Amino acid sequence: MNGRKVILPGDKVTNGKVSMPGCFAEGDSTFAAVMGMMDEEGRFIPLEKRYRPAMDDAVVGMITDVRHAGYDVELNLPNVGFIPSRDMRTKLELGDFVVCKIREVTEVGDVDLSDVRRLPKGKVVAFPPAKVPRLIGKKLSMINMIKESVGDLLVGNNGYIWISEKADIPLAIKAITMVDEGAHFSGLTDRVAALFGKEKKGE
Amino acid sequence: MGQEFRDIVMSRIKREVMLTTLAKGTRYDERTFDQFRKIEIQKGVLKSADGSALVSIGGTKVLASVKFDIATPFSDRPKEGVLITNAELLPTASPSFETGPPDENSIEFARVVDRAIRSAECVDLESFFIEDGKVLSLFIDLYVLDHTGNFIDAGTLAATAALTNAKIPKLEGVKIIRGEYTGPLVPRALPISTTLCKVGDHWLVDPSRDEELVQDCRITIATTDKHVCAIQKGKGRLSKAEFLNSVDIAFKRGNDIRSMLG
Amino acid sequence: MDKTKLLVDGKRLDGRTAEELRNVRIETGVLHEADGSAYIEWGKNKILCGIYGPRECIPRFEASPYHALIKCRYMMSPFASLEEHSRSGPSRRSTELSKVIREVFENLIMAEKYPNTQIDIYLDVLQADGGTRTASITVAAVALANAGIPMRDMVSAVAVGKAGGELLVDLGKEEDNFGESDTPIAFAARSKDILLIQMDGLLTREEIEKAIGMAEGAETKLHEIQADSLKRHYESAGEKKFEM
Repeated sequence: MNGRKVILPGDKVTNGKVSMPGCFAEGDSTFAAVMGMMDEEGRFIPLEKRYRPAMDDAVVGMITDVRHAGYDVELNLPNVGFIPSRDMRTKLELGDFVVCKIREVTEVGDVDLSDVRRLPKGKVVAFPPAKVPRLIGKKLSMINMIKESVGDLLVGNNGYIWISEKADIPLAIKAITMVDEGAHFSGLTDRVAALFGKEKKGE
Repeated sequence: MGQEFRDIVMSRIKREVMLTTLAKGTRYDERTFDQFRKIEIQKGVLKSADGSALVSIGGTKVLASVKFDIATPFSDRPKEGVLITNAELLPTASPSFETGPPDENSIEFARVVDRAIRSAECVDLESFFIEDGKVLSLFIDLYVLDHTGNFIDAGTLAATAALTNAKIPKLEGVKIIRGEYTGPLVPRALPISTTLCKVGDHWLVDPSRDEELVQDCRITIATTDKHVCAIQKGKGRLSKAEFLNSVDIAFKRGNDIRSMLG
Repeated sequence: MDKTKLLVDGKRLDGRTAEELRNVRIETGVLHEADGSAYIEWGKNKILCGIYGPRECIPRFEASPYHALIKCRYMMSPFASLEEHSRSGPSRRSTELSKVIREVFENLIMAEKYPNTQIDIYLDVLQADGGTRTASITVAAVALANAGIPMRDMVSAVAVGKAGGELLVDLGKEEDNFGESDTPIAFAARSKDILLIQMDGLLTREEIEKAIGMAEGAETKLHEIQADSLKRHYESAGEKKFEM
């Protein structure tokens, strides 16, 4: 930790009414609504646990209801997403995993989905959305290293990670857990790499 | 579409994917099939109780409280103390637990732990006799605080550990003097339960939540060092050979875990 | 009534000063499944708080298209009392406390951000020794922050009692036996608005004003304890350790 002060809900972030994620304006000041920290440029970085949907995000979801009009899809959001039947050329089934793009986010956080693609059989694990960039790495370096040793997987911006049935699922889970627990600390890339080096030697 | 139907369909898919991993001889958390997750026991965590323990198995956490009161004995056992075991599945512990009166899972859980403790004769109920119409009653309360699979084994272990931590209250006539004790309750046996589940053709000890959701069969066997003291089969079916094999595993794991109680 | 002196040379029965709190320890993020959680030990009180949500509102007909529904369940375990074992299940007292605690957080949670959902606050008292409602409010605020649920402010709570003729912050069980009045108060940390106030017994206007001032002072300390707990949890990379 670099000694930066942790900001709590209700703490003042700056004077004036400024629009920042995770903040709200009251009177002539801006306050934090969630825990976070200030960066070097005086911007508030919320310590996000939950997924904050953004346009063009790729998300992994699970079909939780099948109706005539369309499908409910669970996306790690407070509300369930919806895919109209007419958007799908192939039929989806209950329990199917899908990957889709967020076309639009409404003011109240509802999402409009596009480019829905059904995923093959696999296991989905939940991962903190805030740490997804760390799991992907600079220029996909981390995720490609993991995929090389583990097999096919897909990381949704919403924190849902699909692992192919054909992949080494326990090893994938181990690598993902390592990134989750070690995202804060340096040397993560080396430790994840060592995980695969070790496995290769059959240790 | 009904929730139950949804759950059945979704678990079928999860099960198929898990079988692919199990076929390679490992589980999602890299345990072997006969391994328990990490077990931690904290004793004496509640001052309001006469004995207590907090047990975690993996992420599953169960708190057990042992508390004495004065009661009227059951009419068919007038010289014996009363043992009552209750369980709560706190809604905070899992999105699948709801608020409200105990449901069938919580009732089954309490009764299985009670069976193990009672059958093993951990507590000498006759020593709880005070005078005609008055005996000591012993309440064992099990609170599931965090559910990541197999709270039954965590609960049995917590109850047993709480009994090893328990003290007999001092009496003044037929009243308990709270906070004062005559000595430790020394349990005469230490029952440990081992739960196994079957997924496809594989038997797995200490099911994680993932495994519980897709299990085809579940069996819980509580053992003392030499005896089986409780058995509870959950859903599914198993052959005689599978059952006897489970008993053998339960004795082995039971002995390992019992040595942790000190 | 007993003429026991509860404050002698500035010291109470347990050695505290009139304004001093009992020992308070808070651990954040102790549970795996809940979206947010925290555990508090306040004197001999032990209370666990779990947060779920925002999540789908069930039953659906209760949902509001304008904001999340906030639900609170405060429960006392049957083994929580230092006295005899009590009955499980909700009591009239726990129903009232669930309501007033919910109303504290309805002021703070930005529920309009999550229409058609519900947010559940679960409070379980595992060991009770007076002041469970104020400890519950204090720990629930931490659990909600841990869950990342947007709030306008933090809150903590303490009770100021009158016992043996003296105004004392955070009455212990023994002091409570001589109690003439008890006033639990919750202040929002930033705005200093009162989000909960209840009172029983008899107090003069001056005494009430003094009590409120004493509560404010105590709550500044509680806020530091909350902040410290949240900070420590963040710095430990979110490790989940639960020690009672």
